[in-house]
Amino acid sequence: METIHLRIQDVCKSFGNLRVLNHVSLDVPQGSFTTFLGPSGCGKTTLLRTIAGFYTPDSGEIYLGNRFMNTVPSHLRNAIMVFQDYALFPHMTIEENITYGLRIRKMPKDQIQARLERTVGYLGIGNLLDRMPGQISGGQQQRVALARALIMEPELLLLDEPLSNLDAKLRINIRAELRQLQQRLKITTIYVTHDQAEALALSDRIAVMNEGKIVHYGTPQELYYHPADPFVASFIGKVNLIRGRVTQHTLEGTWVDVQNITLLVKNHFTYLQPQAEVILCVRPETVRIVRASGDREENAIPGYVTNFIFEGATIRYWVNALDQEWVVDVFDPAEVLPPDTKVFLRLKPERIHLLPGGSQK
Amino acid sequence: MSTRVREPVLFLVIGVLIASLMVFVVYPSIQVFLYPSGTDFIKILMNPRYQRSILNSLYIVVLSTLSATFLGFIYAYAITRTDIPFRKFFKGISLLPLFSPPFMVAFSYIMLFGKNGLITSKLLGLQVNIFGWHGLWFAQTVAFLPVASLVMEGVLQSIPPSLEYAGRNLGASGFTLFRTITFPLARPGVAGAALLVAIQVLADFGNPIMISGDFSVVATEAWMRVEGWADIAGAAVLSLLLLVPSFLIFLFQRYWVSRRSYVTITGKITQIDIQKTGTWIRWVLFLICFSLSLLIILVYLALFMGAFVEGWGFNWTPTLRYVQEILSRSPELTNSLLFSIFAGAGSAVFSITAAYIVSRKRFFGRRFIDFTCILPAALPGIFLGLGYSISYTKPPFDLYGTAAIVVLALMFWNIAMGYQTGIGVFQQISPSLSEAASNLGAGSLRIFREIEIPLIKGPFFSAFIVSFIRAITTLSVVVFIVTQKNVVTTFSIMNLVSDGFYGKAAALTCTLLIIAFGLLGITKLVLGKNVVLFKV
Repeated sequence: METIHLRIQDVCKSFGNLRVLNHVSLDVPQGSFTTFLGPSGCGKTTLLRTIAGFYTPDSGEIYLGNRFMNTVPSHLRNAIMVFQDYALFPHMTIEENITYGLRIRKMPKDQIQARLERTVGYLGIGNLLDRMPGQISGGQQQRVALARALIMEPELLLLDEPLSNLDAKLRINIRAELRQLQQRLKITTIYVTHDQAEALALSDRIAVMNEGKIVHYGTPQELYYHPADPFVASFIGKVNLIRGRVTQHTLEGTWVDVQNITLLVKNHFTYLQPQAEVILCVRPETVRIVRASGDREENAIPGYVTNFIFEGATIRYWVNALDQEWVVDVFDPAEVLPPDTKVFLRLKPERIHLLPGGSQK
Repeated sequence: MSTRVREPVLFLVIGVLIASLMVFVVYPSIQVFLYPSGTDFIKILMNPRYQRSILNSLYIVVLSTLSATFLGFIYAYAITRTDIPFRKFFKGISLLPLFSPPFMVAFSYIMLFGKNGLITSKLLGLQVNIFGWHGLWFAQTVAFLPVASLVMEGVLQSIPPSLEYAGRNLGASGFTLFRTITFPLARPGVAGAALLVAIQVLADFGNPIMISGDFSVVATEAWMRVEGWADIAGAAVLSLLLLVPSFLIFLFQRYWVSRRSYVTITGKITQIDIQKTGTWIRWVLFLICFSLSLLIILVYLALFMGAFVEGWGFNWTPTLRYVQEILSRSPELTNSLLFSIFAGAGSAVFSITAAYIVSRKRFFGRRFIDFTCILPAALPGIFLGLGYSISYTKPPFDLYGTAAIVVLALMFWNIAMGYQTGIGVFQQISPSLSEAASNLGAGSLRIFREIEIPLIKGPFFSAFIVSFIRAITTLSVVVFIVTQKNVVTTFSIMNLVSDGFYGKAAALTCTLLIIAFGLLGITKLVLGKNVVLFKV
């Protein structure tokens, strides 16, 4: 059973008239890697900074372990942050930067030295210690910023889009390293990003935020296959959203009617009443596309190809079916279906997710 | 060469700019160098009287610079980085002296803290002699504190907030954060501010002439040399002694300090929640800011009172005599007003034109214009005034006693401010704006009217205001060039103060203040936030 390390309870924060955090609640398990994911302006950075103690919540509580944190000033919280712009002190050497926090704590010199060597070893930056921050590359600055946080053996490691200033290739390398290091050191880590691929690759848990609220909090798989609402569904990965209506629940699963085509969904969405409006979420890679020949197949929708892109490992098709555009990814494609080819889209019954329709788009 | 053919108007304007700078900045400066002979140099430098004044100048520059910079830093830190009450008020008060005559502080403190001072003698019953180095130190500290504070505010605000956040996040707070992060990052800026203050203290003429008594400094001795002995050569030597250090500091500041600054622009500027300042630090800072702003407010109060009191120090009967005197007859006020309007307008047109051309065009002589437009900022008023007095009071340019000589001196002395403001604004506005307009089909006249004019308006008016106010409040530039015929207000005030006619002097000073603040108020009202004043 996992223990809760960080608890955020009903936190609100406004800047002037703008409400940036709107009743946010969240439990972060010990040793986990949790990501706050959302578009810019969703409040994710504000939440992170509130945890760090740079902002005081207008209402609500924050607990770290069992300690009530609201009243603890930021410099006494051992919640260390890696800043988006790294915030390396330009007037100190790399070594002085990394050991800054320990020197503030007045730790004995030999202990600082021991920790410095260990931390620098993890990150492979031992040769940079005498340099100034202006003299090293972006990737190196990133590692130094991380070292400066890790050397503190923080209770909570906070990362504010730390990879956003790196080029794409470096980003993927450091991403993998970061994850390995976190798992080895078992530090409870909170990561802020707007990049859903990064979030899926790194996280144990993801909190998707929108307009100051957490709209879905769960594992990457839960978010991907069972998103809480259309926003989450379309923010993470690509998704086809189709309106339909529940007809009945049977032993096999839930039956849905989409423009007089009956589809089986092999998950029990019994909380949805028959006749309820629903939105079907269908991931592009879960759809099989076949040439239309003869009779209509089970769980299949007729349509025709409008466009395609060949991407090597996959072909992405755009298919017009049921008066809307579908995106379908085909792996290991044997043949290419040119535009105007009549096709069936075969939906896997166990891969369709249903969301309550009604007022939502 | 191609410029001459393609754009004749531009070529003409560049020619006029270069010629004017040669004639009105470079020529008078060189004249000061050429006037004295070798023996004049030796005579002055060997004279114990001037040796003492050189030492005095050094001594007071160090003292006043240190105190003004130190207090200015505390003031700026308190109003930008802490949560002490009345920060806005303190900030506002510290801006007032920037728009006031520089000698005003000394004059006012004589009335407040002198032998017959309102506070020292009347209220506290003390016998104090304020004349001397201590009075000068006191007056200059308060007079130059606002400049120091303004520069330092800029320095503190340019430190990326994430660095202080990072420091706090790693466990530093309060004084530790200040000692390890904030101050080291501000240090290059503080050094720059100190140098800026040092130049101004060194060149200060108004405060020492009024309050330093027997403690002579180089600036006042230069004037005495002419006034007492009609020895222009001696005055030239002394004013060169002022020029050399201030010119070196200027070069050093411009080409070295500015490059060493840590300030970097990082993309995201985040809101700062000002942390709670420790209780006792908060009160200490508040007390410091309160005392300093009180010292500034007192300056104005005393001047205002002085204008309405029969005989300051012995007869406190209220009177409207001085105000009536000024209203009925004061050629110096009319002169001041007219000269400053012409000088201000001329300076604005000249400096904005130069700034526009330098930032938009590439041509031969561009670096000369750039350098010479900023140069006047490094020229002590005494030096430039003397240069004009040497160059333009005899044929071929005999402007002795005319309005022209005063207007020209004031105009060119002030081009640096407008020029720098202009350059700052034009650098922020991309030239591609005009290109975009042209690309969208606008003709060149239309581009000028609809794109360039609105952009130039802001810097033009701020250049005018700043030049006007500096022109109407300066004393050092005019002391060598005014006569009975072209006398200006500041010169009259100086004579009235030295003769002990405080009432009329105060009334005249107040009138200058009313004109300066009135104009400032009107401009702010008309142009709103478009006016950038005193960009440092």
